[in-house]
Amino acid sequence: MDFSLVFEHLYLVLMTVLFSVIVGLPLGVLAYITPSVRKIVLWAVEILQTIPALALLGLIIIALGPGKTTVIVGLVLYSLLPIVHNTYIGLESVDSGIKEAGKGMGLTQFDRLISVEIPLALPMIFTGIRIATVTTIGVAVFATSVGGGGLGAVIYKGIRTQNMELILFGTVALMIMAILFDVLMIWINNRLTKRTSN
Amino acid sequence: MIRFENVKKKFGDTVVLNNISFNIEPGEFIVLIGPSGCGKTTTLKSINRLITPEEGKIFVNGQDISKANPVKLRRKIGYVIQQIGLFPNMTIEQNIGLVPKRLKYSKSEIKKITKDLMEMVDMSYDEYAHKYPTELSGGQQQRIGVLRALAASPPIVLMDEPFGALDPMTRATLQEEIVRLQKKLKKTIVFVTHDMNEALDLADKIIFMEHGEIVQMATPDEMLANPANDLIRDFMRKSSATSDPSNLTAADFMRTNAISVYKKRSIRECTDLMARQHIDSLLIKNDDDTYVGIITIKDVRKHGKSSGSIGEIIPNENITSDAGENAKDAFDKLYNSGDNYVVVLNNDKTIAGIISKTSMATAMADTLWGDMQ
Ligand SMILES: Nc1ncnc2c1ncn2[C@@H]1O[C@H](COP(=O)(O)OP(=O)(O)OP(=O)(O)O)[C@@H](O)[C@H]1O
Ligand SMILES: [Mg+2]
Repeated sequence: MDFSLVFEHLYLVLMTVLFSVIVGLPLGVLAYITPSVRKIVLWAVEILQTIPALALLGLIIIALGPGKTTVIVGLVLYSLLPIVHNTYIGLESVDSGIKEAGKGMGLTQFDRLISVEIPLALPMIFTGIRIATVTTIGVAVFATSVGGGGLGAVIYKGIRTQNMELILFGTVALMIMAILFDVLMIWINNRLTKRTSN
Repeated sequence: MIRFENVKKKFGDTVVLNNISFNIEPGEFIVLIGPSGCGKTTTLKSINRLITPEEGKIFVNGQDISKANPVKLRRKIGYVIQQIGLFPNMTIEQNIGLVPKRLKYSKSEIKKITKDLMEMVDMSYDEYAHKYPTELSGGQQQRIGVLRALAASPPIVLMDEPFGALDPMTRATLQEEIVRLQKKLKKTIVFVTHDMNEALDLADKIIFMEHGEIVQMATPDEMLANPANDLIRDFMRKSSATSDPSNLTAADFMRTNAISVYKKRSIRECTDLMARQHIDSLLIKNDDDTYVGIITIKDVRKHGKSSGSIGEIIPNENITSDAGENAKDAFDKLYNSGDNYVVVLNNDKTIAGIISKTSMATAMADTLWGDMQ
C-alpha cells in the first residue's frame, strides 16, 4: 500500500480547488456586476462541464504535454461551474433592500461587494467550493491517465492485475477523503451561515 | 434646500413623473402621499440619484445634482427604506458607523455618535451596540435604520414608507420619535407614506401626488380645509374613519412579530428560540401555516424530554380572534380569559399576530388621551 499516492491525490485536489477559486470567484462576480457578459460566462462554464473529463484532459495534453499541470488545468476548468454559478447566484440573491440601502447610503459598488454582498453570499459561495472539492476528488482519478499520478494509479493497477485489494484500497481511500472533506466543509459552512442568515 | 424644476421621468413608454416642480425649504418635514404607483418613490429616489430623470433639473443645496458625484451626494443625504436594509453581517454599531467610517471619522467619534443616537431613542448602547440586526425586533431594527441614516449628520433625510411594515403600536412610537428627532436635529425630511394619518401627524407640508403629477402641496391644515380634489377628500375621509375607535379591528392592534414554529421543529430548537427571544410560549402551526395552538415553556418541562419534535407535545388552546373582528370584542375576550394574549387569525386560519395586554393598555390610553405625543 502506497500512502504517498493519497497525498499526491490530495495535492492535486487542493491545487485544483485553490485555482478554481482564484479564477471562479472573480468570474462569478463579473457575471453579477456586468449583465452584458453574464450569459457568456455562465454559458461557457456550463459547456466546459459537459465535455467528458477524459476528453478534456486529452485536449489539454496536446497543448501542455502530460503531467500534473495538465491535470490541474483540466480539473480547474471542470470545477469552475459550481463555483462561478454559486458565486453569481449567491450575490444575486442578497436581499434587494440590503442592496438598495447600501447604494442609497453612498457605498461604491466595490465597497458594497466587499463589505456586504460577498460576506452575505459566502455560505452559498462556500457550498459551490464544497461541491467542486468533492467532485474533484472523484474526477482526479483520471489524472493517472495523463501522467498526473494520484489514487487513480492504484485503481487502474488493480484493474489491470485483477487485484481486488488494490481496487478496494483506492476506492475506500477516495470515499473517505470525499466524506471527510464534505463533513468538514459543511461544518465550516454552518459556522458561516449562523450570523448572516435571517 | 431641494428644488425640482420640470422633472420628467419615463419607464419605457409610461410617464411616471410628469413635469414635477416644487421647492422644499431647509428644516421642513415634507410628506409625499398619493395612491400606489403615483410616483412617490420615483420622486424620492431622484433626489439621491438612485433614479435619473430624463428631463428637468433637481437642485440640492443649490447644486444641480446631475453634475454631482453620486457617491458623495448620497453620503450627505440620509436614506431609510421600508425593508430597513440593515446589514446582517455587521453589528448595530458597525451599521450606524458605516458612512462616518467612509468619511474618515475616528473610532472614538463613531462610538460617541452611536451612543448619543441610541440614547435619543432609548436604546442602551451597552445592551445593543454589539448585537446583530437579527437579534432585534422589527421596531428596534427600524429605529437603527433611522439612526444609521442620521449618523453622518446629513442635512437631508429621505424616508420611503419607513414604518409601513411595522405594527400600529410600534409605528406610533416611531412616529413620535422621528418628530422629536427632527425638532432636535433640524433636518430637512422627505417622507413617503400612503397613510394620511401619518401624513397629517408628521408633515409641515404635504405633497399629494396622482399619476405622476402634484395635485396639491399644502400644510396639513390647509389640506384638511381645502382639499384640491375628490381623491384627496377621499384619502382624508378614510383616515378619519380609522381614527374612530369603534371602527378599529383586531388587526389594528396586533403585533405582527409574534414568534411561531412548525410542528416538525425539534423541541431543543424551540426552547433555544424561547430563551433567545425572552418569551415563555410559542405559537405552533401546521405545514400549511394554519394555526394549531400554543406551547409554553411549562408544557415543555412537563413533557420532560428535549428530543423529538414540538408537535409531540399537546398544544394549549389559546383564545383567538379573526383579524377583522372588532377590536373591542377582541379586548373583551382577552380581559375575560386567563390567557396572556389573543392569537389573531387570518381568514385562512394562518397566524396574523397577537394582541397582548400591553398592546391593549396602550390602545386604551391612546383613545382616552389621544395619540400619546
Ligand atoms: N424600474 C421600473 N421599471 C418600470 N416601471 C417602474 C419602475 N419603477 C417604478 N415603475 C413604475 O413607475 C410608477 C411609479 O412608481 P413608484 O415606485 O414611484 O410609485 P409609488 O408612488 O412609490 O407607489 P407605491 O405607493 O406602491 O410605493 C409605477 O407605475 C411603477 O409601476
Ligand atoms: Mg413606493
